[in-house]
Amino acid sequence: MIKVENLQKRVPMAGSELEILKGIDLQIKPGESIAIIGASGSGKSTLLGLLAGLDEASGGRVIVEGTDLSELDEDQRALFRADHVGFVFQSFQLLPALTALENVMLPLELKGQVDARQQAEYYLGRVELGVRLDHYPRQMSGGEQQRVAIARAFAAKPAILFADEPTGNLDTGTGGHIIDLLFELNQQEGTTLVLVTHEKRLADRCQRRVYLDAGELVTGAAS
Amino acid sequence: MSMTATKMLARDWRGGELGVLVAALVLAVGLVSGISAFTARLQTALEQESHRFLAADQVIRSGGEIPRAWGEVAAEQGLDQAQTLTFPSMVYAGEDTMYLASVKAVSDSYPLRGELTYATGAYGEVLVAPRGPGTGKVWLDSRLFALLNVEVGDPVSIGEMQFTVAAAARTEPDQGASFFGFGPRVLMHMDDIPATGTVQPGSRVEYRYLFRGKPAQLTAFEKYLKPRLEPGQTLIDIEDGQPGIGSALNRAEQFLLLAGSLGVVLAAVAIALAARRFSQRHYDYVAIMKSLGATSGAINRLYGRSLLLLGAIATLGGCVTGWAMQELFFELFADQLPVQPGSSGSRPYVTGGVTALTCLLCFAWPPLYRLGQASPLRVLRRDMPLETRQSLADYALGLIAVSLLMWWYSQDWKLTLAVMAGLAVTVILGLGLALTLLRGGRLLGMSAGSIWRLALAGIQRRGTANALQVVIFAMAIMLLLVLLLVRTSLIDEWQTQLPEGTPNHFIINIAADQVAPIEAMLDANGITSEALYPMIRGRVMSINGEDLPRMEDTDSERYQRGSNFTWSDLQPPGNTLLSGQWWPPGTTQPLVSVEASFAERFELEVDDKVEFLVGATPLSAQVSSIRELEWQSLKPNFFLIFPPAVLANYPATFMTSFHLEAENKAFLNRFVHRYPTVTVIEIDAVMGQIRSIVSQVSAAIELVLGVILAAGALVLIAGVQASVDERMAESAILRTLGARRNLILGGLWIEFSAIGLFAGLLATLAAELSFYILQTYVLEMVYSPTPWVWPLGVFSGMLLIGCLGVFSCRKVVSSPPLAVLREL
Repeated sequence: MIKVENLQKRVPMAGSELEILKGIDLQIKPGESIAIIGASGSGKSTLLGLLAGLDEASGGRVIVEGTDLSELDEDQRALFRADHVGFVFQSFQLLPALTALENVMLPLELKGQVDARQQAEYYLGRVELGVRLDHYPRQMSGGEQQRVAIARAFAAKPAILFADEPTGNLDTGTGGHIIDLLFELNQQEGTTLVLVTHEKRLADRCQRRVYLDAGELVTGAAS
Repeated sequence: MSMTATKMLARDWRGGELGVLVAALVLAVGLVSGISAFTARLQTALEQESHRFLAADQVIRSGGEIPRAWGEVAAEQGLDQAQTLTFPSMVYAGEDTMYLASVKAVSDSYPLRGELTYATGAYGEVLVAPRGPGTGKVWLDSRLFALLNVEVGDPVSIGEMQFTVAAAARTEPDQGASFFGFGPRVLMHMDDIPATGTVQPGSRVEYRYLFRGKPAQLTAFEKYLKPRLEPGQTLIDIEDGQPGIGSALNRAEQFLLLAGSLGVVLAAVAIALAARRFSQRHYDYVAIMKSLGATSGAINRLYGRSLLLLGAIATLGGCVTGWAMQELFFELFADQLPVQPGSSGSRPYVTGGVTALTCLLCFAWPPLYRLGQASPLRVLRRDMPLETRQSLADYALGLIAVSLLMWWYSQDWKLTLAVMAGLAVTVILGLGLALTLLRGGRLLGMSAGSIWRLALAGIQRRGTANALQVVIFAMAIMLLLVLLLVRTSLIDEWQTQLPEGTPNHFIINIAADQVAPIEAMLDANGITSEALYPMIRGRVMSINGEDLPRMEDTDSERYQRGSNFTWSDLQPPGNTLLSGQWWPPGTTQPLVSVEASFAERFELEVDDKVEFLVGATPLSAQVSSIRELEWQSLKPNFFLIFPPAVLANYPATFMTSFHLEAENKAFLNRFVHRYPTVTVIEIDAVMGQIRSIVSQVSAAIELVLGVILAAGALVLIAGVQASVDERMAESAILRTLGARRNLILGGLWIEFSAIGLFAGLLATLAAELSFYILQTYVLEMVYSPTPWVWPLGVFSGMLLIGCLGVFSCRKVVSSPPLAVLREL
């Protein structure tokens, strides 16, 4: 359950302030999948960053799983992320010095999970990369790297998964596979899915879409 | 967090992120421990060498017997002991053949250090003796065999006792102790002294009590002795051993310390740069870890542990490197070393460890610590600026740490100050000058062609970063130049001190009527000698009417003291007047020219009136000049010179010095046979030793210079690498836009060599300043400007940085732009 109340974000810019988010109100139910859509610069990524506790709001509140993120400092938010949140990024954000297996193990190790290796192997198997455990990101295609990222996100069993343009760096065919994989796992794991995208195909797969325009939520329609 | 630091380091190592950091750390530790160990071992070796010249570790010299209790205390403290007693005495062979000899009686355990040598006949093969002659036996100086007309086995007598000639006495380790002795040597046993009846209270004798032991024992004994010594009793230890080699080696040691300190500074800069780059490259890494839930504390712990682990590995690696470095040197030069190198102990390696820890804490930790504050938002926004700005506190911390390390390492604040002054000038002038020059470059570039515009725009755009880079490069180049300058001036000085053909033999006690035939004999054998100087033994009695005390009545250096006089109409070569004037030739005025250190000891100034005693005849003279002379020139040198007319009526002997090649040594035998009353002092062996030590130390200096150059190169590489990422990205974009390979390489070349040019200029300026301070205040040598260093500094800076820069960025033109962009 995510509850957003009058969320604002302003950044100082050349003497004045730039208002990126102008008071957003939004509720996301457990297990729901929701797409945040909007033009470049509309504030989508900023909203995602705030929902995931990666950034601090200038005003308003974000309550995730009963925790008010605005009351946490960065370290407490980090612990919160470790327990509740998973990510899939446009640029994959795999650590280049780690193998596929090590990348997936990383968040599990951060949580101190003892069966990190088994879990990581299991989820890499689920994304059909069971035979490429020891490959480094640079030895993989974009689609394969994103599958590793998806395995990493689900392996930690997050309550909420945030995805930032997960198909943005992929061709149509590969993007399609990634979308299928994402929703399939989402369904099986019962995760809440919040994604930011331009892509209609991806947005259409979500139960709900919200439109951001110049920092304001324009419509919120159920699919 | 269960992800261990080991794992992360291993991953970074595979990723090639750690190379420069580890290399810099290993080098810092290796330099410090290697150079410390090297110096320590050389020092021990040279101390042993000096001990050899004393024939002991510690010696009490005394005009009479010392209290028996002292010997007992020494024995209690576990010191080994020996005695010698030297006195002049007539040696008789039969009724009418006799000769005044310098008799030295030695105890069984003499010598405690070094070797005593003898020969079975007058000029027979030289052998090492385990001890001196037994009771009832004497060894005679080779010359005495001819002078006394005796053979081995013949009887000779000293005082009331008769001895058997058992061998020829050749060398004693402490021979130099009585350099201008009083005649050929006779060695006898200490126990025979009473039977000769020659040593009576008031006799002119010199007792020497020799001690050998561990440093702690010696120090304890010295502490016991010092308050008990009476006037006329002197404690001699190693420092007094060899003043000649001493100054050269002190400077060599200072050079090595300087080199080591500079090495540490260089390595510290390299470490700071490498750590900064390491942390920059880890920003994304940390952002991802934080997005996945790592807290800043966890990140700091992870990097802290990694750093400690890295420190431990690098310390180990560095100690091994340092050990191997000095071991290799001693291995290579083992057979040329006059003595076995001593052991260095563990201190050099402790020093290395402390250096590693300090470098890590003060240079590597600050940028890594800031990693903990990296924003996780970077995972969404790659364009977020890196918070890598170094704070003033970082610089201050670094500066203090470097100064303390240098001071701790060199134990010499003047040296530390000289280097820090140079560095400060580099930094302050550097930042100002660099910013101004770079701005000027931009204006020039506006009207230039595209390759220049591109390069100069690059320089301008990265103004602050480039200025910082200029300063760092300048620091590295400056340190290298300083080292090069000091090394060159040291080696030059040593070479001029002992040039080929330096006199290596002295002849003294030449009678007036022997002067002409000896000159003729030397000439006939193609030996060029210095002029023959007359030598008169005299004594300073009073100054300006005030009588000087006798030696036994004073602690000061100012007492009635014997000295060698000479006369000369002309100012001898190698003598420089500090004050007063040289007399006109042929003067009959009672004047005297005094050597500077002698004048200082007796508090003499020009126009002072001095009374001397020559034999039993008084002589008074007025000081007309004070001279400085090169004692190291090994030419006949005198404290006191008079006009010839003043000394004309006093009995004089003559002396000279000359150079004799080793293969012409046989000449000496002929010479000694023909002039048995003349004393020949051979210092060729000692000089050979000085030469070999100097050449080894020079080799050591070259080796260290090489290692420091490597450290400098490392800084340059680390510095270039620090800016490579950004430049690569730009160049890759330019290539995507269709820029040709030559344009990009040319632009990079111009940009880097311009930075190198500015750095070289600055470095040379600061190096001259540091060199001036070092020469004047630390090494106490004469500073002279070194114009050759300017083109060297400037052009090598340009070339080095230019080449390194282009080399580091070569990938941008050799691989597809997309691959370059992706990797960044």
